[in-house]
Amino acid sequence: MTHLSFEDLVAYFAGDHPGEETLEEHLFGCDACSREASRVAAITETLRAEIPPVLDASRLATLRARGLRVVENELRPGDRLTLEFPQQVDILLHRLAGLDLTSAETVAVRIVAESTGRTLVEVADARFDRSAGAVLIACQRHFAAFPPDTLFEVTVRGAGEQRIERYSVHHVFQTSARS
Amino acid sequence: MEQEVTDAELVRTIAARGADARSAEEALCRRYAPRIRLYGLRHLRDEDRARDLVQMSLLAVLEAARAARIAELDKIERFVLATARNIAVRVRQRDARAQPMPVDDLEVLAGVVPEAPPVEREGLMRCFDQLEDRARSVVFLTFNEERSADEIAAALGTTAGNVRVVRHRAIAAIRKCLDGAAREVRA
Repeated sequence: MTHLSFEDLVAYFAGDHPGEETLEEHLFGCDACSREASRVAAITETLRAEIPPVLDASRLATLRARGLRVVENELRPGDRLTLEFPQQVDILLHRLAGLDLTSAETVAVRIVAESTGRTLVEVADARFDRSAGAVLIACQRHFAAFPPDTLFEVTVRGAGEQRIERYSVHHVFQTSARS
Repeated sequence: MEQEVTDAELVRTIAARGADARSAEEALCRRYAPRIRLYGLRHLRDEDRARDLVQMSLLAVLEAARAARIAELDKIERFVLATARNIAVRVRQRDARAQPMPVDDLEVLAGVVPEAPPVEREGLMRCFDQLEDRARSVVFLTFNEERSADEIAAALGTTAGNVRVVRHRAIAAIRKCLDGAAREVRA
């Protein structure tokens, strides 16, 4: 019997396998592949359950409705702040404000470790709140694993123009070794 | 090594309603619960709903087995898969949740609905952070932003085929990193 490959299983949980029905028939009949799939799913589905770092207002409202504790900070372009992630908080929300989004067609967000210049996350077509002129960044407790010095670079494209704004936050996690 | 009882033998034992029926039901449920959960994770995208799907599907399979309504005994896995598919459609359409069930059935299903294997989130993010920039973007856009390989390819200026290769190598790297961390903890 030919077992499913690791690549097959990753594609399956990415929702991107061309022979999904055949794969499922094999998966239901094969104990070894089912065990391997469970290991792959433990990673992919934990990643999927993460809250996206860039939110829109409706997603934020959903998270609040789920009972998540959110603390908001408003940042203006060029701001350079040190912000503490309190112990009892689920999301430290950075409201990257001062953006003219009235004619924005796309908004790209790049999150960079400022000390190394390394890109942590890049979203070419990010959600944004047009009327509020802001992009919402959901900093989460497990981001303590990332470097603490974070540069948010927001690129607004629209009406034939491109404008880049930058915001810097040094994160201090109360419960982490860094705090 | 003891030969594993086949699905067909379990279903025949359940249908016969003898003294062994209860343990046969439990064995059949233990065998298929993890597979239905994986199907649920893929199609319902939620651990709680996947667990509901396991419960509803196994109950339907047990009822069919007790009533000797499963025709092809050499293809039980297909019957279970078809049952899970049908119920998953209902769950998606009506957001159906598992309903209260008889105490006997609850006892059979107790303990067979698998717990999600634990993955330590901060450790996972640390491993994610160690990926190359492009791999990190691909993983993030796939599993967190629900973008297709074609959409990611357009955003990153590459091909969908390349996105798929980067994606599975990245997940393999995360797994290796997590396994290494677990070994360090045990040492």
